[in-house]
Amino acid sequence: MTTTRRGLLQFLGGSAVGALFTPAPWRLITDTALWSENWPGIPRPARGEIRAKFTNCSLCTAGCAVRARSVGDQPVALAGVAGGLCPFGLTAHHLPYHPARLKQGPVKEAAAAVADAIAQCGPSEHVAVLDLRPGRTASWTYRRAMASVHNGLYLAPPEPTVAVNLRNAKTVLSLGAPLLDGWGTPADVFAARDGFRLIQAEPIESRTAALADQWIVWDRPPGLSADATSLSALAQAIAGEMTVSEAATITGLPADQIQSLVKELKDNGPALVVDSEMSPAVVALNVRLGSWGRTIGPRQEAPVPESWKKAAPRTDLAAVPDRSIRVLLIDESTPGEYLPWESIEKKLAANAVVGAFAPWTQGYGRHAQYVLPTAVYPEALDDIPPAIDSVAAAFRIAAPLVAPPAGMVSPVEFIAGAAGLPASDALRERADAIHKAGRGTLVTYADGKSIPVKDVKPEDFWKSLNAGARWVDGALGAAVAAAGVASGLGGADPLVRSRPPGRLSAPAQQADEGVGSGPGGPPHYPLTIVTESRAAFLSSPLLSQIYQESNLRLAPNRIALHPTDAASSGIADGAHAFLETRDGKREVQVTVDSSVRPGVVLVVGQTDTASSGAKVVRI
Amino acid sequence: MSAKKYGMSIDVDRCNGCGACMVACAVENNIPPAHAGINERKGITWIRVYKVDNGEDYPGKRSAFVPVLCQHCGEHTPCASVCPQQAVDVDPQTGIVGQMPERCLGCRYCMAACPYHARYFNWFDPVWPAGMEKTLNPDVAPRMRGVVEKCNFCHGRLHAAKQRAAAAGTEEIQPGDYVPACVEACPTGAIRFGDLNDAASETAKAAKDANSFRLLEKLGTDPKIYYRSKKDWVRQIASAPKVGQPHENNVGRTPRSARDPLVALLAPARSSAPSSAPLPTRKETLHG
Repeated sequence: MTTTRRGLLQFLGGSAVGALFTPAPWRLITDTALWSENWPGIPRPARGEIRAKFTNCSLCTAGCAVRARSVGDQPVALAGVAGGLCPFGLTAHHLPYHPARLKQGPVKEAAAAVADAIAQCGPSEHVAVLDLRPGRTASWTYRRAMASVHNGLYLAPPEPTVAVNLRNAKTVLSLGAPLLDGWGTPADVFAARDGFRLIQAEPIESRTAALADQWIVWDRPPGLSADATSLSALAQAIAGEMTVSEAATITGLPADQIQSLVKELKDNGPALVVDSEMSPAVVALNVRLGSWGRTIGPRQEAPVPESWKKAAPRTDLAAVPDRSIRVLLIDESTPGEYLPWESIEKKLAANAVVGAFAPWTQGYGRHAQYVLPTAVYPEALDDIPPAIDSVAAAFRIAAPLVAPPAGMVSPVEFIAGAAGLPASDALRERADAIHKAGRGTLVTYADGKSIPVKDVKPEDFWKSLNAGARWVDGALGAAVAAAGVASGLGGADPLVRSRPPGRLSAPAQQADEGVGSGPGGPPHYPLTIVTESRAAFLSSPLLSQIYQESNLRLAPNRIALHPTDAASSGIADGAHAFLETRDGKREVQVTVDSSVRPGVVLVVGQTDTASSGAKVVRI
Repeated sequence: MSAKKYGMSIDVDRCNGCGACMVACAVENNIPPAHAGINERKGITWIRVYKVDNGEDYPGKRSAFVPVLCQHCGEHTPCASVCPQQAVDVDPQTGIVGQMPERCLGCRYCMAACPYHARYFNWFDPVWPAGMEKTLNPDVAPRMRGVVEKCNFCHGRLHAAKQRAAAAGTEEIQPGDYVPACVEACPTGAIRFGDLNDAASETAKAAKDANSFRLLEKLGTDPKIYYRSKKDWVRQIASAPKVGQPHENNVGRTPRSARDPLVALLAPARSSAPSSAPLPTRKETLHG
């Protein structure tokens, strides 16, 4: 048999066709797909023993209990223990790897400059610490440090003086507080939600307004908080000291709405009125309603060692003389309430030394001479002050889940060292003081137990706290454990025992000032900036899910405008523009949203742009 | 093991649109942060929360948040029937519609077929910031560029629950032992998960609620995701009113906006990519 070219071609062609009826090509496709799934460019998850660790989230004062799923020592997922977590808490284990993370800083230079400046401090000059989150054990150390230096000042945003109990409330009037959007301890708020009727009064349809039983479009004032005059009028209407029509004139609400509001607050009690800051006027209104001791009471604090009581009090920044701060150290290591830099800057002496302890450079680090890197949750050991809805005193620690990288600076050690305080483990000292007081309950989430403190040894108490347990004052601990909620809401004992403050009255003037009242006036700054409650801080890159891929929440670089305002500025949805205030301008992307009140620019909490007037300029 | 029919009930009236479900899903399933330039169309969100409204302007406007994920269709599953690679299957033991990225060729027929637009294509290689790959979930393999992916009710968690059940000497997974990440993360308790075949489960009870509804129920795909709302206008969205026209049960109200994302999502005339811009006419196209 001779092999011809035709025969060869026929054989090859037949083989090719025949191969299609064999598993070979399909196997090739599958193998190619499998290979491409595992090619070296695709990251491979770590393997190892799976463990559960417990801690408390320190990203806000809610301090949610957290169960971390870890591979070896590396957390790979965070989940809430007593309810869900917010998106920021869920992704907190990404923070140590954030691309904007600060990894080194001039520590020695900063220490030397601070020591020199303290030594050269004049008689009328001050050494100051700005603590963005007061109420922590670290805050006590700062206060003690400032008490031990000449002219030391402890600066901090005001702390709430009261705590609320939503579980006892049947009617809640919220004056712009983001009650259902991260306010207080979210797990507790939602656990109590079915028990009260929520009336939300604010000018924009926030997430809370969208879910409230009733949204009152309170068109005046245009800020998120109600003004004291209106609250005073409301209080007088409730007490019958003012007619409804008079109150309507003052508050800007329709008379029939005030009538029904007053009736509901009086008849469907216990009632509770809240605003974002729990201002004195709101507390006074609650006292008028007879809510003191039922749904609102004084804030409780965990015991501290007796020797700590000689501490500097909190000083309001406004009370500090201009150009008098020689040394300013800012603890920005945990998210807190930022004070506008302009108000800080005017208090600084000409040769002031400013140091910021921060995990990134986007906050006060832009203005400080020295930015020192700090550990960030979940690397940092810190405690969490009680939330606004924490009726009982509580103590919980954000125990580290991973070790911080080398070169991180502890602001507590730095400031204590600069002030000459002897080195100590303040958290441990405080835990010992709580244990020594002998009251309260230790709630452990790992095994779901609730043990009276007097039955726990000091060493075990400290170990449990570091394993995510929390101390809750009084008999409430047992109720907390039984209810499975995150803070001390189980009973009302501390509220019932308390007495209302002697003098609570609305400040004479507040809030309403400023809307278009600057040098430029309304023609130049026609819009009012309303800031969403969340402060800017380092957040996981995965939050692009809610910012970039879905636009579910306003990203820090976005603003929202009503269509009429957008049209008058000539801006379309998604367009880039400049948001301009008296303090400066920055580029933003615009979301056009008809749920925003006309005349309002909605922005996410920023350090520098909070302002009563603004305009949006098309690029 | 008795056949299950896993499903969800989502209480729209409790959802505050915080996005925790989206983020928890991304963490659990190793979905990378958005590539630079990714937008709402190219991003991967196995569960996406849409903000919808009643079509009115401020101050009459009322909003709600509707989480949309793979509806795990029970009948005539559109994506499974069009897949040329058999990369989609419906598990008869659980009712879960699964996706096998190893088999996927990236033809995207399934994306075109899915009436809920709950499938996502990997336009880019998965990349995490340096060091962050250490936080990946070891139970889920990252997918490569060029394949389609979607919600699978956290398949890794189902396997883990099966292993726990086996270790306990049983084949039955106990209720509560298997919960997807979005359900676990929801701080408001709006999302519930369970066996719809188990009449005693909260999910099955919620599915029978008078205010319960499913998306595009008229298509007959038998979705296993049930929504619930006491608000009429929210329930009407599920039946996909035509863009720019008042709904038949909603006469006299303002026509729904074409910009409303869920309306755009569910509108019958949509192509696979959501867009509010009108399609060009043939004449416009010709004259370029």
